[in-house]
Amino acid sequence: MSTLLASPAPSVSPVGEPRDRVDGRAKVTGRATYAAEAPVRGAVHAVLVQSTVARGEITAIDASAAEKSPGVLAVITPKNRPKLDDDKIKLHAESRLPLGDLKIHYAGQHIAVVVADTLERARHAAKLIKFTYAAQPFLLNHDDPAAKTEWPKDNNGRPLQFKKGDVDKALAAPGVVTVKHTYSTPIETHNPIEMSATVAYWEGEKLTVWDATQAVVNRRLALAAVFDLKPENVRVICPFVGGAFGCKGDQWPHTVIAALTAKVVGRPVKLMLTRAQMFTSCGHRPATEQEITLGATADGRLVAVRHDSKISDSAVGKHTEPCGAGSSAIMYATPNLAFTHRLSRVNIASATFMRAPGENPGTFALESAMDELAIALKIDPLALRLANAPDRAPNSGLPFSTVNVKECYRLGAEKFGWAKRNPKPGETRAPDGARVGWGMATAVYPAFRFPNQARIRLMVDRDGGVRAVGACATQDLGTGAYTVCTQMTAMLVDLPFERVKFELGDTDLPPGGVSGGSATTAGVGQALSEAAAKLAEGLLKLAQSDTASPLAGLKPAQVTFKAGRLVALADPARGFDLAALLKSVPSYVEGRTFVEGLSVANPLGADNLPAKQKLYAFQSFGAHFVEVQIDPHLPVVRVTRVVSVMDVGRIINPKTARSQVEGGVIMGIGQALFEETHYDPTTGRPVNDNLADYVVCVNPDVHSIETHFVGEPDLLFNAVGCRGVGEIGITGIAAAIANAVHHATGIRVRDLPITPDKLLPKA
Amino acid sequence: MNAFSYTLATQPDQALRERTGPARAAYLAGGTNLLDHLKLGVERPQLLVDVRKLGFDAITPLPGGGLRIGANVRNTALAYDARVLKNFPALSQALLSGASPQLRNAATTAGNLLQRTRCNYFRDAVSPCNKREPGSGCAALAGINRIHAVLGTSERCIATHPSDMDVALVALDAVVRLRGAQGERTVPLGEFYVAYGEDPAKENVLAPGELITAVDLPPTAWLARSHYFKARERASYEFALASAAVALDLNAGFVRDCRIVLGGVATKPWRALAAEAALRGAPPTENNFRVAADAELKAAVARTHNGFKIELCRRVLVQALQTTAALA
Repeated sequence: MSTLLASPAPSVSPVGEPRDRVDGRAKVTGRATYAAEAPVRGAVHAVLVQSTVARGEITAIDASAAEKSPGVLAVITPKNRPKLDDDKIKLHAESRLPLGDLKIHYAGQHIAVVVADTLERARHAAKLIKFTYAAQPFLLNHDDPAAKTEWPKDNNGRPLQFKKGDVDKALAAPGVVTVKHTYSTPIETHNPIEMSATVAYWEGEKLTVWDATQAVVNRRLALAAVFDLKPENVRVICPFVGGAFGCKGDQWPHTVIAALTAKVVGRPVKLMLTRAQMFTSCGHRPATEQEITLGATADGRLVAVRHDSKISDSAVGKHTEPCGAGSSAIMYATPNLAFTHRLSRVNIASATFMRAPGENPGTFALESAMDELAIALKIDPLALRLANAPDRAPNSGLPFSTVNVKECYRLGAEKFGWAKRNPKPGETRAPDGARVGWGMATAVYPAFRFPNQARIRLMVDRDGGVRAVGACATQDLGTGAYTVCTQMTAMLVDLPFERVKFELGDTDLPPGGVSGGSATTAGVGQALSEAAAKLAEGLLKLAQSDTASPLAGLKPAQVTFKAGRLVALADPARGFDLAALLKSVPSYVEGRTFVEGLSVANPLGADNLPAKQKLYAFQSFGAHFVEVQIDPHLPVVRVTRVVSVMDVGRIINPKTARSQVEGGVIMGIGQALFEETHYDPTTGRPVNDNLADYVVCVNPDVHSIETHFVGEPDLLFNAVGCRGVGEIGITGIAAAIANAVHHATGIRVRDLPITPDKLLPKA
Repeated sequence: MNAFSYTLATQPDQALRERTGPARAAYLAGGTNLLDHLKLGVERPQLLVDVRKLGFDAITPLPGGGLRIGANVRNTALAYDARVLKNFPALSQALLSGASPQLRNAATTAGNLLQRTRCNYFRDAVSPCNKREPGSGCAALAGINRIHAVLGTSERCIATHPSDMDVALVALDAVVRLRGAQGERTVPLGEFYVAYGEDPAKENVLAPGELITAVDLPPTAWLARSHYFKARERASYEFALASAAVALDLNAGFVRDCRIVLGGVATKPWRALAAEAALRGAPPTENNFRVAADAELKAAVARTHNGFKIELCRRVLVQALQTTAALA
């Protein structure tokens, strides 16, 4: 089918303008409705109870005191959970439904839920249930010999075990300089500001769920499956999300429990995870241990890259962090490449994707190793990367649709002043005596696109002008999707931004994909473009009902929207005023009648790419340049300056795009210096499960962050030409910081986070 | 959370009566610590006696230049008081390095003196903890003890005293004013605290029900040469990994007198008497500062994850002393 392309340039396009968020006022005035604030009358409250042991079996449950506690409406445990379709868990984060059996796989597993008329009464009663456990020895470490291991084939279609050429032979060749080191990253927990929450109610066989989610459609399908409902009988609503970073992407057990309790008590139920429960109920980034071997010729050409990763998940989790698959697979040209991923089953809550899963820990390892290789070769780290920048995808051999990584390096180095860097570690000082270190690293993220269907409706406004409403059941995680989709809709129908609205976050709208994988803008943009073409087609038919029409005889591909008119592409003077056209609709009713364009539901599978597009690799690159300063006496690292340059295709909104990169950098600073979820070796419970003890960046940790975009619209990827921007900012940044710390101190930290203890002499 | 009653006290004697009555009672002031602990199940009082309407909310001058800080004076008001900034700078620095503006707006002086440890095992309300459930054991010994204490510990408890303010107050020779059933008394703040290691459930010398009414800062001129220095990972809103409040009385190139108190590393605001003794009469040189730090930290005991705190604390103390010595 034909799609409306972004060019020729529309006359009033807001695309490319730094528009303020259309939902900004609603958010700062508290009028944006988040899941826990769903306008549902008479909701009662559900509180979860979680296992305090990490492995074993529940042998007895005494819920009598809780059941008798004031205000309690229901207590559900594995002993009395109503039946669900326990086998239909394909779309769920875990391979078993909650409260289905007495087995304990990890500390923090849901083992009961209490519903009461108030939150306080539910919380109180939840403490009164007595559990007796037969605890078993548990495992926390992926290297524990007792842990079951697997070698998963792929992660969402990306191979996890890969071999090209002969790495061993290449490494053994004379004159090849090698570095081989092991890098590790700890468990990190997403910690969005908004805790996950669900409000659920039933009307007969119809279930409505307000849910803090990155995927209303997947949520609908997942709930329909386990409650044995037709999908159209499940409505999932999520107009706003207060941050997610991946932890609201998959179907976690609490949403099922909320819907189940609402059915049991016959009233709307509200369930909100506590901050502590967020550490065990909706995933985390798993710990990784990655061994990297690099081989290069003396002049800095890579001849071999090996990347072996050890990761873990719970016995019921489904996530394998694709470390090498997200980094070494794609970042540098090398004739010999091999990567593996070993998954161990441990007794820690289930893992999931977290902002740039795979690419993030993978780039920490590979980009640290590249720095070490540069030092071994006595080559500037930037020069080493320039020498090995790929012009084809190293894993598949496909050409990139567009690739501008060298321009990222060039511009970043120029803006940062990299040429002035003294290559010797420990030699640079700030005026106040602080040690100064400069480091850099490559950022990388693939371009994903999931199936989305979109519609655009045109109608005549009260003032006689035309307005458009775009819609897709996608989500805005706080990224600016509302604004960006409004801009794209306005561009496609060539109306002023102020005359366009966009609706999302509701399964009553045309189905959208997961807001994950940095895929929203590209996927929805493509669908909107197709919807605009359908809209033009419908309007053209209307226009051609009059044989004397100025557009008579034209095909849909020969018309376009132009400043409130539908015009001939070849001669924009020939055309129809849209308002007049809309009013010519038979039985037109003022304020009611609209004309709609609806894209077809895309049948092309997960990545939504037509076959001819399979001839390319779609990949974003970027570069971070970082300055750290470290007090010579107190080894506390401050990231004083960051320059980030990204090639992510066309930028729809420079303001929200910049925010995404800055947010990624800031989260990356936290990852590099602070973040780690600790688990108690005696109980297996997360120890620092609150925002005072789980340390993320605060404002004074963030200094200058300069963001630039390079590159061109990627029109092979989609009609709008954009790739995603949500995740790439957090790739590479931890390595750039670790490299800068090495440059400042001569100390190489290969184990995140870079806390003061790792920079002090060992006692 | 357990059910509890609430009463608003308007007279100190009324507060004392309620607090020492039949119900298991607790005083409520800023609530920044107590309310968390009620929700976590760490504290289960039957009665909250609200003391916020008792007055005690002024900072008043004492003869000779000292200050009386009312028990209900908020941390923010105290930190920005012009007399504190001028004559007791370490106190202002300590306050402003702690918590967040929102917490400091609510937290009170007396409440900060009674702030409880941030030990995760104390706060989780289920782990063995001799402080929360005397005799149950100490989960931190075999647990994650990265933030735990290296001074004043025992096999019964290694929890860290969390306050910044109290570290500075001890260095400034603060005296606590108490009112109890037997009338009023004063206790030097340095003698107010009991190191957790001795009897983890007993954290201070307060008699049951005794009410803190004020903290006095004596008029010692040389305490104006004081400084609070804190090391932590992120730049704000984090408890100290190690901190030091120091005051130096310098005369003719020698340390005539000094106060050295350590925070973040001990089971109470840790008056570093060995360090002070090593420094008294010595020239204020970097080397002597190191000798003083070593003298104190000799006694430090490292656990599985907190050994780095000893070296970190040494560096924090040396830096604090150097900064203080360089003050005009």
